[in-house]
Order: sequence, then C-alpha cells, then structure tokens
Amino acid sequence: MTTAVTFQNVSRHFGTVKAVDGVDLTIAEGSFFAMLGPSGSGKTTCLRLISGFEKPTGGAIRIFGEDVSNTPPHLRNVNTVFQDYALFPHMNVRDNVAYGLMVKGMGRSQRHAKAEEMLALVKLDAYGGRKPAQLSGGQRQRVALARALVNEPRVLLLDEPLGALDLKLREAMQDELKALQHKLGLTFVFVTHDQHEALSMADSLAVFNEGKIAQIGSPQDIYDRPATRFVADFVGSSNVLPPDLTRALGGPPEWASLRPEATRLAASGPVSGPVTALRYLGSGTRVVLDLKGTEVAALVPAGQPVPAEGATSAIGFDPKDLHLMGAA
Amino acid sequence: MTAAPAILPARSLADRLTATFWRHPRVLLAILLTPPLLWLGVVYLGSLAALLLQSFYSIDEFSGVVKQEFTLKTYAELLRPSNFDILVRTVIMAASVTLACAVLAFPIAYYAARYAKGHWKAAFYLGVMLPLWSSYLVKVYAWKLILAKEGIIGWAAERTHTSWIIDGLLSIPGLEGSSLSTSPLGTFAVFVYIWLPYMILPMQAALERVPNSMLEASADLGATRAQTFRTVILPLALPGVIAGSIFTFSLTLGDYIIPQIIGNSANFIGMAVYQLQGTAGNIPLAAAFAVVPILIMLVYLWLARRMGAFDAL
Repeated sequence: MTTAVTFQNVSRHFGTVKAVDGVDLTIAEGSFFAMLGPSGSGKTTCLRLISGFEKPTGGAIRIFGEDVSNTPPHLRNVNTVFQDYALFPHMNVRDNVAYGLMVKGMGRSQRHAKAEEMLALVKLDAYGGRKPAQLSGGQRQRVALARALVNEPRVLLLDEPLGALDLKLREAMQDELKALQHKLGLTFVFVTHDQHEALSMADSLAVFNEGKIAQIGSPQDIYDRPATRFVADFVGSSNVLPPDLTRALGGPPEWASLRPEATRLAASGPVSGPVTALRYLGSGTRVVLDLKGTEVAALVPAGQPVPAEGATSAIGFDPKDLHLMGAA
Repeated sequence: MTAAPAILPARSLADRLTATFWRHPRVLLAILLTPPLLWLGVVYLGSLAALLLQSFYSIDEFSGVVKQEFTLKTYAELLRPSNFDILVRTVIMAASVTLACAVLAFPIAYYAARYAKGHWKAAFYLGVMLPLWSSYLVKVYAWKLILAKEGIIGWAAERTHTSWIIDGLLSIPGLEGSSLSTSPLGTFAVFVYIWLPYMILPMQAALERVPNSMLEASADLGATRAQTFRTVILPLALPGVIAGSIFTFSLTLGDYIIPQIIGNSANFIGMAVYQLQGTAGNIPLAAAFAVVPILIMLVYLWLARRMGAFDAL
C-alpha cells in the first residue's frame, strides 16, 4: 500500500507556542483520514503543513514519497477546501471552479467544459453563471469542493468544511463526501472538532491534543479502546473512572473508561450514589450519578424506568466493556 | 411581598422621549437627518446649481457685465486653443498624479493591511496622517526649497555626480525648466506628495477586506504571486483604488496653489477659475471651467462602473 502523506517528527513552533510538536503520521493512499481534536490542538496547523501554508520548524513531510520542505503551495499537487470556502466573490461559479485550470494556462472553452463537468459531479449543473453571494451555504461548500477537485489533486485537504452548515445539511454532506471519496478513490484528509463526524466518516483518524497525537487508529479502536483519559473523554464522552473507583467496582486499580451506553442502572451494587442530572435525548435518557465524587453517566433506553433526581442508584456493566488505561 | 409592576414608571424626560421614538421610529430618523439634508440640499447642491446656472450666462465683451440670458457661448470659449490647452494640461497632470499615487500607495497599503500589527499599524497611520496635520502652504514652500537648484536634491545629485540625470529630465520637451522647482516635473512631484495619503487610506481599507484565505486559495489552486495579484487582489482592491483615485484626480483638477508656486506658471483649471472670477470678473467662464472637472469625474465613474470596478462591493 502506498502512503500519500508522511510526517516524520514534524514540529511547528510559533515562538514558545508549540502548535505542532513532534508528530509522526502516515496517511495511506485512497483513505479517508480525519484529524480530530479541540480547537488549538494543532490539527489545522498539520493540514496547513501539508498544503504548504505553514513551514515545519522541525522534521520532514513527504507527499507520495517526495520531500516537500522546499515546495511552495502553488507547486504542491494537493488542494484545499477552506473552512470559509474562500470563493472569489468577483467571479461567477464557473470561473471559480475553472480558476486552477486558468492559472495553469488551459484555454477558456476547455476549462469551462471541465468546470461544468465538476459542477455536475457536485449537482450544481445549472449554477455556473451565478455569483457565490447568490448561493446558500451548502451550495458554496459544493463549489469549493468542485474548485479543488477539478485540478485532480493527489490529496484533497478539507478544513472543517461542514462546520458552517446546519445539522440536517451536514449529515447529507457527510454521506455525499464519503460517496464522492469512494467514487474518486482519492485520499481525503479531513480536519474536524466533531467526534461523531470523524468517527462516522473516517477510515482512520488521529486524535490531537496540545500539538501532539494522542492516539491514531481506526474509529473502532479509538472509540472502544481509548489510549488516554483525554481520548476517552473527548471522543466517546465516556465515563473516566479513577483507579480507586475502578477497584471498588471490581476492577484492578487503574484508570478506566466505560461508555455510557454500556452502563446500566442497578438497584444495588458495590458503589452507589445520588442521581445528580437527567437529560432526555429522545432515544433514551442520560442519567448522571455521583459515585464517590466522580460523575458517571448511564444511558437508559427509552421505555425503561428513569429514577428521579436525588434518588440513590448503583451501576452495573459487563466487565469486558471496562477499558483499562494504566495506573498513571 | 408586593410584586414589582410589569410596567416600570417613566423616570425622566429621557425615558419618555425614548418611548416616543420607540413608538414612532421615523421621528428619530427625521430629527437626525433634517440638518444634514438641509445642508446638503440647500447649501451644497444649491450652490452647485447656481454654479451650473452661471456657466450658461455670458459676459458682455464691451461692458464686462454678465448677461443673464441662456447661451452656450461661454462653453464655446472653453474650446478656444488657449483655454483648451489649460483643460488638457490639467487632465494630463491629474491622470499622471493619480497613476503615480496608485503605484506608490499600493505597496504601503498592502503592507499596512496584511502585515502591520499593533504598534506598527499605529506607526503606519501616524506616518500617513502626519503630513496632513501641518499647513498645506508650509509643505508646498518647503518643497520649493527641496526642489530648487541649491536644494537638497540638487546638492545630492552634484555630490554623487548624477546631475546629468536631472538635467536630462529637465530637457525633455514639455518638462523644461531651469530647476526641478520651475519644471512641470516639480509640480507633479509635489502633487503626488500632497495627495498620496488620500490614495493610501482607501486602498488600505479595501485590501484589509480581502480575507487571507482568498490569497491562500489562489496559491493552493496553483497561481503564482503575479497571477494572484492580477486575478484576485487587484479586482478586489479596485473599489478602494477607484475611491482613492477620485480623491487624487479631483483634488489635482481643482488645485490652484501648487501650480502657482511650483512649476513653470503654466495655467491649470484651478488657477484659471481663480483669475477669471477675481481680476477678470468673468464669472460665467469661471463657472464653465469649474463644471469641467465635474463632468470629467462623472465620465470617469461611469467608465469605472462599466469596467466592473464596483462588482466586488
């Protein structure tokens, strides 16, 4: 399997701020790779290191085996879908999409034909003559996508492309992006702070925290077997149990993660505590208990009895769902 | 416990006024707009109309009295070679000053809009505005000294044995003069100096509105710096360039002091107006001269619009 992008001990420091700090990364060709993390975790800087808008202060970046340390953005065969789309307001949609072909010297009729082809791919055939200001957010997003794809890049970079869309449109675009990636067989590198988006779309993902990669793996790996407390907390909204609570619940004295949907309420158990919060989610109710000072959430499926706030309850779970993360 | 009332009592006149404005939103708008509309409508547009009216009158050649009859005779006089020369000279000067200001202002405005932060930004504003704080006349006379044969430029050229460059420039037909301060070249340099801030500021404001991601997108799609400049930066900054050029162009068209002090005393529109309404007492011709810059600006804006300069607004 060819690797599309490789990071070797890559750092990007801004003065004393270590935006990216010693990152090692391999992105396989044709994969849908997500970079997930809270804001300021270094994920966007990593994307900008691939596109060339940031230069690493240490380490080496390779794109399809070629060192790109000295290659400016306009000579890199990668294209970006920007967070704010960055469509040119003074050009119509067709000229926006054809821009990359124009600057490479392709003739007008040929590049317009290619642009129309791309617009058809993103289902905007009839919109070539409009200005970006006349489009909705979702349509602009598609234009940005077409404008990047028309150049036939080897890697497509997407910087939080769905962040500005409402929930329904975002879900539709997620499916569409995934289908498009499948159809084109292209390598997509996708930056997001939305766990659900990363888990549902990526073949493989890296979780960033404070400039470093906290964990890298498949969505299942990361959701079921978080490597650190940060990953467990950020990705799964999992319960993070301190060592003494894990031991009280029948495990070894280690930090552990336990997903709310694997946690059920029990009338009695080794540890019990008061219900401190209830949140109705439609498909069930999230019940938060205070167990020896640690908040533990359990998901009660719809139709099952929900305790009142203040009532005392214990928890139960299948021991194989308890994921241990070491004593430190 | 007594509950607080749902409607609070009005405490003062200000409370009552605010309530009135809330009930009748147009009242506040009317109060705010009446004084400026009176000023703009009566004083400003009114005097412009009076000017226009005057330009259609003519002067009796023998008695020197203004004849209040509509005629195009005065406009025909503008086309007399001696008058037409003034128009051509002024327009050429205004156009070259505008072009030079645009070329000089762009790098400064670009730096200020994209790179200057914090203290450097403050230093930029101060640097651009500082010349505007001192007297116009003082600056022009200072330039007369700078450009004089014995001035710092002449002195520096002599010391570096580059006087031949200045002599060469001063021997170009149309730019002749005994020194820079008596050549049209000097008039041009001082115009550029005096009006430059009016080009930099609108340009900087326009460039500041071009998001960085737009330039990154252009590079990302394979454009060189020159291509990005031509196809993205320039079209997006054009409204600012046009705004700046309106200032530099119309200010040069109307100025009558700089060409009097610096240059070869050839007449410009402003000087002609000054002389005609003063010593000559020919108000109609002065008015006709004054209408020309207005027409030129209207044509200029119409052309700019036609060329799509305001599409990015």
